[in-house]
Amino acid sequence: MSTAKLDPLVKGTKESDKLKKIDFKMISFTLSGRDYGINILKVKEIRKAGNFTKVPNTPLYVKGVDNLRGDIIPVIDLRIMFNLPAESKESSSLENIIILRLDSLVLGIIVDTIEKVVGISSDAIQPPHPIFGDINIKYISGVVENDNRLYIILDVDRIFGQPEEVAPPPVASPAVAEDAEATEIEAAAPQAVSLDFKFISENLSTFNQFYVTPFNTPWVQTRLQSWKDSRKAKNLDFQFTQKDDGEEFLSNFYSPFTGQLWSAEAVNELAKSLKFEGNNLVIWNPGCGRGYETYSLAMLMQTCFRDSTYKIWANDLDLLNISTAPSLILDEDELDLAWKEFTVPTKNGLQFHADIKNRVLFEFHDINNMNPFAQIHLVVMRDVLSFQKPNDQDKILGEISEKVRSGGYLLVGSNEVVNHEEWKSIGQAPWSLYQKI
Amino acid sequence: MRVEYINPFVEAAYNVLTEVLATDVKRGNLFLKSATKSVMGVAAIVGLAGEVEGRVLFDMSKQTAIKIASVMNMEELAELDDLVKATISELANMITAQAVTKLHELGFRFDLTPPALITGDNMEVSDQEVEALIVPMETPHGSIEINVAVRERS
Repeated sequence: MSTAKLDPLVKGTKESDKLKKIDFKMISFTLSGRDYGINILKVKEIRKAGNFTKVPNTPLYVKGVDNLRGDIIPVIDLRIMFNLPAESKESSSLENIIILRLDSLVLGIIVDTIEKVVGISSDAIQPPHPIFGDINIKYISGVVENDNRLYIILDVDRIFGQPEEVAPPPVASPAVAEDAEATEIEAAAPQAVSLDFKFISENLSTFNQFYVTPFNTPWVQTRLQSWKDSRKAKNLDFQFTQKDDGEEFLSNFYSPFTGQLWSAEAVNELAKSLKFEGNNLVIWNPGCGRGYETYSLAMLMQTCFRDSTYKIWANDLDLLNISTAPSLILDEDELDLAWKEFTVPTKNGLQFHADIKNRVLFEFHDINNMNPFAQIHLVVMRDVLSFQKPNDQDKILGEISEKVRSGGYLLVGSNEVVNHEEWKSIGQAPWSLYQKI
Repeated sequence: MRVEYINPFVEAAYNVLTEVLATDVKRGNLFLKSATKSVMGVAAIVGLAGEVEGRVLFDMSKQTAIKIASVMNMEELAELDDLVKATISELANMITAQAVTKLHELGFRFDLTPPALITGDNMEVSDQEVEALIVPMETPHGSIEINVAVRERS
């Protein structure tokens, strides 16, 4: 294939505005003078190594195995695999190696030179063109132009992933031992689902600060399927290109009654699972938003636990939302009749009674900072932890386990699950309620 | 920090600074901080007690302190002398007092302690068990950070 043939394509992709939004990064490298790229998410590291231990009875392109800090990984010469001329090097010299991390397989590939990380917009990636004769078209996920250079993006999952499809390009020696190669690649056996899952997790954290952890994995897995179907129907890729895509993905993540008062029926249902000891109850409601959840909790206490005195500490990091919470204006038409007796009309509209407000304390507070609570009876934290970084999720959950008294409760979002030895699930849908053992 | 407390402090700082400096003052974005924070050079502290416990810290560079004191005293001051220190302490007192008055009108009872002034290089402030609300104020003479750490008495 000559470079001249590529020129029309180069021009075709020259739309500088498409390059502005960088949402795809790749490691660029060369193979016999041509530029290639591999999605950076697939790359574990790059390194130089040589003197690989030969493995007998393997295809020519398997250079041998290498010791990567104690892990033995196969090393494959991509140039031989794709029948490209390889620079002849002295046997003792070091080769440039890209270490790939595929689903369950780590392997190294030898390339000519490793250049840099190139950030591009995924919109700018064009489908592979049949004229790319060097490398079987099914191993190419696309081509992209950046800085006047045309990069061929390799689909490493296709190349190393599915054993049944890996019919390696003709290699010089026909004496290829099939079974050795099979063992080589068997380990990779990727599950398309888990790869897509990885992509979506990455998308959610980048665009929406939603972090996929065991806390919400079951929901994300279920949602992924319906998401893929609905995107396919619209002829769109399942991956996000903007924040709104993530919002749409998350649209049915949020628990019932988000941004509104809970219904009396739902409150009664929840109260059936709760039993408090002591009289001065401490309730903590981090991520209270505009306060609907907090007031609903107050309603729960007023109607179902009349004999107890209580205090609700409600926090949020959104200054605008939390500022309006103490004097929340209610929509009379949408108000559950059962709550009517706790409200008073004011000149701005219907508000909760001062007795209720005195029991609720709204604070501008970051949950990742010091939380000065102790001996808590009930923590209500719906759809909050999923938006904290994975480490912080663990930290916060640990802190809650420490601060809630035994027999106390934790209410999380309807699509969140707590897997913690100290908590046992006792709630009934839609309430995801846990009790501390 | 309880939301009701935020506005009185922000308003008081804005009002007092605009009035004594007789210029435009801009408020930066509020944020929360719990880790140790460095102090720019001159720090006036006013303690709060009553229904709450905590303190307000006014933090600025030496240059800013001297310039602000110069404007407030209507004379050119060259170094961080007693007059500058007294002026900055007074400024801290005025802002905190006005905030506490506003809070009193809202039904919160706060008492305050006389201001203390601390100067030096490479200072840090850390608060145990309470996060601080930072209110950055930009004046033509330099920036002042008002650092409010208050919590409910449990």
